[in-house]
Amino acid sequence: MFALLEDAGFTRVRSAVVPGFRFRKASTRDAAEAYGVKAVLMTALKPA
Amino acid sequence: MGDNPMSIADAQEPLEAVIKGEVLRMYQEVADNPDAEFHFFHGRLAAEMFGYSPEWLERAPAGAVASFAGVGNPHERSRLQPGETVLDLGSGAGLDSIIAGWQVGPEGRVIGVDLNPAMCLRATANASATGARLECLEGRMEDIPLPDASVDVVLSNGVINLSFRKRRVIREIFRTLRPGGRISITDIVSAKELKQSIVNDPKLWAS
Repeated sequence: MFALLEDAGFTRVRSAVVPGFRFRKASTRDAAEAYGVKAVLMTALKPA
Repeated sequence: MGDNPMSIADAQEPLEAVIKGEVLRMYQEVADNPDAEFHFFHGRLAAEMFGYSPEWLERAPAGAVASFAGVGNPHERSRLQPGETVLDLGSGAGLDSIIAGWQVGPEGRVIGVDLNPAMCLRATANASATGARLECLEGRMEDIPLPDASVDVVLSNGVINLSFRKRRVIREIFRTLRPGGRISITDIVSAKELKQSIVNDPKLWAS
């Protein structure tokens, strides 16, 4: 998603992992962990 | 340039339609049965996990809080200012739109866009209950029903990952923002490419 934002023309693209995010069900949580799934907060600007 | 080869998303159009149906079903279920259990945390528990202000959660309508299905807190860095126009992409039951409405105030404007017209009605009713103004438009995030350069800020919480056409969604967000506008988006990302068996499973994709 970071690259998609830059490709679209956004600048000052920043991302931070959402610390509290996790899936509720253990099976989904394990699968998500295996794929490096995480929630992120992304901010960016459209140039003036 | 020569041919325009069929994109992966185009090739998967039938699957995309099935997934769209599953997304509609799942998030409608969250709204209709907030006490049920899902793959993800939702409602007040999830909002508290992501640092939503207790004051916000007390002030917002119980229905909007109970149906919250976000994956983070896009307000944390949105820096919304009075008078700004905000687009909440995938507004659901309206909690993020309502909070945005409080921040931009009566001179501001909040526009929700949601695939599900029933959710738009619900979000609008929830916003009205708090005195916040929300215009909610039925629409797809791949074709945002707003003119070019019409909003100051785009918020979104856990919905872009549901699209097969993320590049297009991001382009649409860029198009609708005014020059100098900004985004504050929380969403799910994966470090590795998902197996086709996961991509092909509408229930997993929708969750």
